[in-house]
Amino acid sequence: MNEAMSPTISPTMSKASVSLDSLTESELDVLERKIAGKYMHMVPWGAVVWGIGNLIAWLALWPLVLMDIIPLWLGFILATLNVALSYLPSHEAQHNIIAGKGQPLRWLNELVGHLSTIPLVLPYRVLRHTHYEHHSHTNDPQLDPDYNIHANSGWHFLRKSIMNRQPESGRSGAYPEALKRTGNEHMMLDAIIYQGVYLVIMFTLAWSGYAIEAALLWWVPKQIATTYIEYYLSWAPHHPGKEQGRYTDTRGFKSRLGNLLSMGMQYHIIHHLYPRIPLSLTPAAYRELKPILQHRECNLGEL
Amino acid sequence: MKLIELFLSPIAFSIGFLAPLLAQGMLAMNSELSTPVAYGAGLAISISFGIVAHSRGSWIWVKDHE
Repeated sequence: MNEAMSPTISPTMSKASVSLDSLTESELDVLERKIAGKYMHMVPWGAVVWGIGNLIAWLALWPLVLMDIIPLWLGFILATLNVALSYLPSHEAQHNIIAGKGQPLRWLNELVGHLSTIPLVLPYRVLRHTHYEHHSHTNDPQLDPDYNIHANSGWHFLRKSIMNRQPESGRSGAYPEALKRTGNEHMMLDAIIYQGVYLVIMFTLAWSGYAIEAALLWWVPKQIATTYIEYYLSWAPHHPGKEQGRYTDTRGFKSRLGNLLSMGMQYHIIHHLYPRIPLSLTPAAYRELKPILQHRECNLGEL
Repeated sequence: MKLIELFLSPIAFSIGFLAPLLAQGMLAMNSELSTPVAYGAGLAISISFGIVAHSRGSWIWVKDHE
């Protein structure tokens, strides 16, 4: 490929488009991967601190509330934030972004993966394998374990989210089915152990006179956080969820809440194209790759 | 296996968590209410929900496809 092409991939759209038009498909692929490669292979220390620190902060709320050091209403708000923030560090670990197999910091990758989702009562191994299935079969009604989150609108999503929480909903069976299909059924044991320990803690607290505290520090925050996470990680970036294919199954979108409150998911398209790019670098990668994505007619909304 | 299924069932959740939650909620709102009455009411309400969730597969009666 002509090396002189690289500098033309710049914010000046018209210039970039002209240059990209002259490239063959394989040259465009090389250029795209070259740009994406600049944002990979670096340890996202922020996600490491976030994952472990967030868990510690959430755990600290329990003695603080139970010993009346902070009021329950404040504990509830903080717990909701903690639980909502608990998924993404594990998501980085699921994609081996902190460290891949055989690398010196592999232990840290796995530690963050396991610890950070404890408030959500979601086991790391189950999340990792089902999430890989989501990436491999995004928007496939039969094979995408997150497919039943799709909804026609935000309100429809909210209704579905409530329905998905019911014991015999399709969502309840989606992850076990995906694990069974891929020969990883044994990982359901992790989910049973997580759920069992969670219930033992909740029942013990409740019958010891701390039911309201348990509800407001864990049960209700978990429900709110699950809805929030599913909205921004699964529904919004894949809406309307009808297209399959590398450049069409995920979209860019402009969130009314901004990038921070939408947990960086405006740029989720970058994550699906290059899952090894850390979350914190997806905005920069998006800006540099945008001309190529536009050339490939990706749905970038108003982003 | 049956014991684990029972422990993870909606009925167990209603007795193990929802009943004391409702009782303690009632006691927090009405301090004159006696503890046995609050827990009795909590158990009655929560077990009703638990039975619905167990038999219908939905805590709120309505199901996914309805």
